[in-house]
Amino acid sequence: MKGTIKDLLQIPGVQGYVVAQGKNIQIKLPAKHRFASAKDRLMHLYHDLSKDDKRPGNTVEILLDDTLMTAFLSGNTMLLVLSSLRVNQALLRMTGKLIIANLGKE
Amino acid sequence: MKQEISGDLANTRCPEIIKILSLGKRTGRLYLTNGAETGNIYFSEGEVVHAQCATLTGIKAIHEIAVWTSGEYRFFVDEPADMQTIIMAVDEVLSEITGHLRQMDKITSLIPSSAAVYALEPDIREKEIQLKSIQWKVLAAIDGKTSIADIAQAIGFGVSDAMKIVYTLLRMGLLRDAAPHEIHNERRSIHLPETEFIISLKESLTRAVGPIAPYLIVETAGELGTDLLTDSTDQKAYLIETISGKIPNEKMSLKFLDDMTDWLKAEV
Repeated sequence: MKGTIKDLLQIPGVQGYVVAQGKNIQIKLPAKHRFASAKDRLMHLYHDLSKDDKRPGNTVEILLDDTLMTAFLSGNTMLLVLSSLRVNQALLRMTGKLIIANLGKE
Repeated sequence: MKQEISGDLANTRCPEIIKILSLGKRTGRLYLTNGAETGNIYFSEGEVVHAQCATLTGIKAIHEIAVWTSGEYRFFVDEPADMQTIIMAVDEVLSEITGHLRQMDKITSLIPSSAAVYALEPDIREKEIQLKSIQWKVLAAIDGKTSIADIAQAIGFGVSDAMKIVYTLLRMGLLRDAAPHEIHNERRSIHLPETEFIISLKESLTRAVGPIAPYLIVETAGELGTDLLTDSTDQKAYLIETISGKIPNEKMSLKFLDDMTDWLKAEV
């Protein structure tokens, strides 16, 4: 399967991403991004979203002012993609689903 | 900070959204759509206090909304309910929904969708049959032409309730599939446009679901109101994503997404 982070970052409008797993969190955002140093808030979001293992879907979209946050969840792994509102949302979700499926296998 | 939540029901279902809004102790109105149907669920500091869907209110309305697997949702902050029709904790509401969804799973194993059409079975097995008045109301509307959804609307029932009753009537042997031969012939005549996109979509989807691929493409495009000849990459992506959600096998669904993501990237 070819869904990679590189593919994700090539989608116009994608600003960066966050990968959280267990106690680890990796934030890849431009230094000036409003969430670049929001580690605690992102961790809190991860814990809120990942604690329910009986969710019917595995994608959650949150619109926060001018930022679209799309969270992909699989097991205890979360990929959170931050993008502008003008992104091709369906393409973003398709790529995100492929990436989280790959991350889940690792 | 002012925050608005919105998204697609194909990705996040109603119980999930209720959980998120409840965790955030939000107050406001959750507006949901499913084709022409709309519904509202009102929250007060994270508690569900009121719901409305068509003529239904309270937990019945939530049952109706909970089964929607496509459409959109949007949360409007600080739009409180003007009445209270639900007096139970969020956990109880979610547990009600889980029970209802379990019941609907059983029903959809026999009735594929609310678009299904049934006719009266002339040869019934039982000598005596007892019906409740609501069952009779539905049975009287069965004509071999009208779908369950349309019957529900005509008699003022929720679609889920009508499906439950039809399920019971089917189990009693009172109904049969309506004119399967005509429906089959109609499906056989489906013709897809032969654009590069549609050819790739059909090939890739056929690998995932077999010969029903063309029907799935036409059905999904119809649900989304997408023109199959569209040039819009956004619409194509949305169509692909929605179709992928209908592929029951997860591996095949991901493989389909993988193939079509490549195709789309070449276009972007």
